[in-house]
Amino acid sequence: MSVQEQPQMINDGEMPDVILKINDVTRTYFMGDQEVNALRGITLNINKGEYVAIMGPSGSGKSTLMNTIGCLDVPTSGSYHLEGVAVNDMSEDQLAEIRNEKIGFVFQTFNLVPRVSVFQNVELPLIYKGVAKRKRREIVEKAIASVGLADRAGHKSNELSGGQRQRVAIARALVCEPSIILADEPTGNLDSKTGEEIMVLLNRLHEKGHTIILVTHEDEIAEHAHRIVRLRDGLVESDIITTTVS
Amino acid sequence: MKLYLDISESFKIALGAIVANKSRGALTALGIIIGIVAVITTMTAANGLKNTFRQTFASVGSDVIYVSKRPWVQMGPGFRFRNRKDISLAASDALQQKLLGRGVVNPSIGGNKNVKYQSKILENINISGTTEKQIIVSDMVPSIGRFLMPFDIEYKKSVAVIGSEIADGLYGNSDPIGKYIKIGRNKFLVIGVMEKQGTSFFGGPNFDRQIYIPISTFGKTLGHNGGRANVNIAIKAPSQESMADFEFEVIGEMRKIRGLKPSEDDDFSINKLDTLLDAYNNMMGAVVLVGLIITSISLFVGGVGVMNIMFVSVTERTKEIGIRKAIGAKKRSILLQFLFESSIICLFGGIVGLSIAALLTKVINDMLMPASLSPSIIISALVISIVVGVVSGFVPAYRGAKLDPIEALRYE
Repeated sequence: MSVQEQPQMINDGEMPDVILKINDVTRTYFMGDQEVNALRGITLNINKGEYVAIMGPSGSGKSTLMNTIGCLDVPTSGSYHLEGVAVNDMSEDQLAEIRNEKIGFVFQTFNLVPRVSVFQNVELPLIYKGVAKRKRREIVEKAIASVGLADRAGHKSNELSGGQRQRVAIARALVCEPSIILADEPTGNLDSKTGEEIMVLLNRLHEKGHTIILVTHEDEIAEHAHRIVRLRDGLVESDIITTTVS
Repeated sequence: MKLYLDISESFKIALGAIVANKSRGALTALGIIIGIVAVITTMTAANGLKNTFRQTFASVGSDVIYVSKRPWVQMGPGFRFRNRKDISLAASDALQQKLLGRGVVNPSIGGNKNVKYQSKILENINISGTTEKQIIVSDMVPSIGRFLMPFDIEYKKSVAVIGSEIADGLYGNSDPIGKYIKIGRNKFLVIGVMEKQGTSFFGGPNFDRQIYIPISTFGKTLGHNGGRANVNIAIKAPSQESMADFEFEVIGEMRKIRGLKPSEDDDFSINKLDTLLDAYNNMMGAVVLVGLIITSISLFVGGVGVMNIMFVSVTERTKEIGIRKAIGAKKRSILLQFLFESSIICLFGGIVGLSIAALLTKVINDMLMPASLSPSIIISALVISIVVGVVSGFVPAYRGAKLDPIEALRYE
C-alpha cells in the first residue's frame, strides 16, 4: 500500500481541473473457478488537459484499468469519480450514457461499424446522445474535416486504409466533446509511418486542450505523452511526469 | 436519448442488416409466408363455407317454422324419431283451421325419383309434393312459366315446376314449358321453371335439382297412398307476432291434434333456420378451430425459423453490439434494433403471404364458393405476423442487449 500513498499531490476536489479520480480501486474476476485480482488497489488522479500514457506488460492490469476508466467495467471496490460523478455504482444504462458523453474511445482495431459509411459511423454517438439531425450533420462534417477525411465521408469503412479508419475512429471519439479521449494501442495495427501520423493527430488534439489517456506497451508511443503511469501486477509501479504541461 | 430517434435509428439499422443479407431474410420470411398463407386461406375458406351456407338456406325464411316428424339436426339415437307416428295431411289441415287464418300453412311431402325426358335421364331427383303456398313460405319463384295454382291441387293435375338444373339437364337450350317430364312412371306437364338459386352448401339441399308437383298427385307418383305419407308442415308466422309466441302456439295446437297427454313428450319436431344455423355454427366452429390450430403450427414453425436466424444475426454482430455499447448505446437501442429486424422480416413474410392468400382466395371464389379477404382478415394477418416477429425475435434480441460490452468488443 505504501506505493499508493506517494503519487501526485492533488488537493481533493478543490482544484477545478481534476477530471478523473480513482481511489483504491480493485477489480477481481473469475476465470473458471480461479480468482484473478486484475487491479489490487489503484489510486490515480488525472487533471484536465493532461496527456497520460498507461504502460505495463501484459497481465499488469492495464486493460482492466482502461476498461474501468472507460466505464465499460466497474470496480469491485474503491471509488471512481469522473468529473466529480461517482461511476462505481452506476447501472449499465447509466454507464452507457457516461461513455457516450464523457469518453471518446480510440481502439487498436478501430472498431468501426461495418457496412455503413464514414459519415454514419461518426454520427452514431450523436444519435445515441439524441442530437437532432441538422445539428448532427454540422458536427459530423466538422469532425470528419478535422481528421482530414472530408472527401471520404460517403465511403464505407471497409473501403478505407487502416490509417484512414483510425482517423474515422478519432473523429467519432470527438463528436460528443468527451472529457477524456481514451486511446487503446491506437497504433498497434498500423505501420510505423501511419502510426506516427495518428500520433501527430492525437498530439494536435492535446494541444487543443483535450485530455488524452493512451494505453500502450511501446515506449516510442508513450514518449508522446507528458506523464507515464506504469502498472505491474495490478498496482501502480511508477508515475512519472516527463514534461511539464503548460 | 430521445425515444423517437432511438426508434428511427434502430429501424434503419435493422433495415440495413436485412438488406445486407437479402437471401437469408427472404428464406427466413418463407416460413412466415407459408404460415400466413395457410392460416389466411383457412380463414377465408371458413368464411366462404359460411357464405355458401347462408346462400343455400337464404330461401328458408327466418320467419318460417317447420313441423316435421324428425328434427333436421338429429341428436341422440334415431329410433326415437323413427318410431313416431307420421304427420298426416289431415293434421296440416287441422292446424290451419286452429290458427284461424293467421300465418300461412303449407304441407309438403318429399321423395326421390328418376326423371326422364326423351332419352335423357336424371337420377335421384328430389320430388316435392306441395301446394301453391310453397312460394310464400320459401322465397323462391319461377323465372319462366308459373307456379302451382289452387286448382292444380284441387283437380290433381299432373303438372310440374322444375328447378333450373333440371331444365338445363333435360331440355338444354330449348324451352321446357309445355313439354312432358316423366317422373317415375308418370308423365307430368312442365308449367314452370324455378329461378336459379346458385351455389349450394356441400351435402345440403340443392334447390336447383328439385321438382314441385301438386301434393294431391304425389301419392300415386311416389307409389304410396296419400294417407300414409309423412307430411312436413311449413308455417310462415304472421309478421306482427313474435316468433317465440307463435312457435309456442303451434306446438300447443299440434299437441292437441296429435292427442298428446300433458305428461307425454312432443312426438313431432319444430325446425327453424335458427336450428340449422346453430348446428352449423357448432360444427363449423369446431372444424375451423381445428383447421386454425393445424395451420398455426406452420406459422409457429416459421416463427422458430425466424428465432433461429435472429440468434445467428445477434451472434454474427456481437462485435458490432460491443462497439455500439462502447459509444453509448443502451440496452433498449440494441433490443429495438433486433426486434425491428425480426418484425420487418415477419411483416414482409406477412405481406407476401397475404398476397398469395389473396390469389388463392380468388381461385377458391372462382371455382368453389364465394370467398373473399375481409379487411379484418387482412389486418389480423399483418398483426399476427408482427406479433410473431416480436415474439420470436425477443429472446435473441434480449441476449444481444445484455451482452457485456467488454466481452462483445473482444469477440472476433
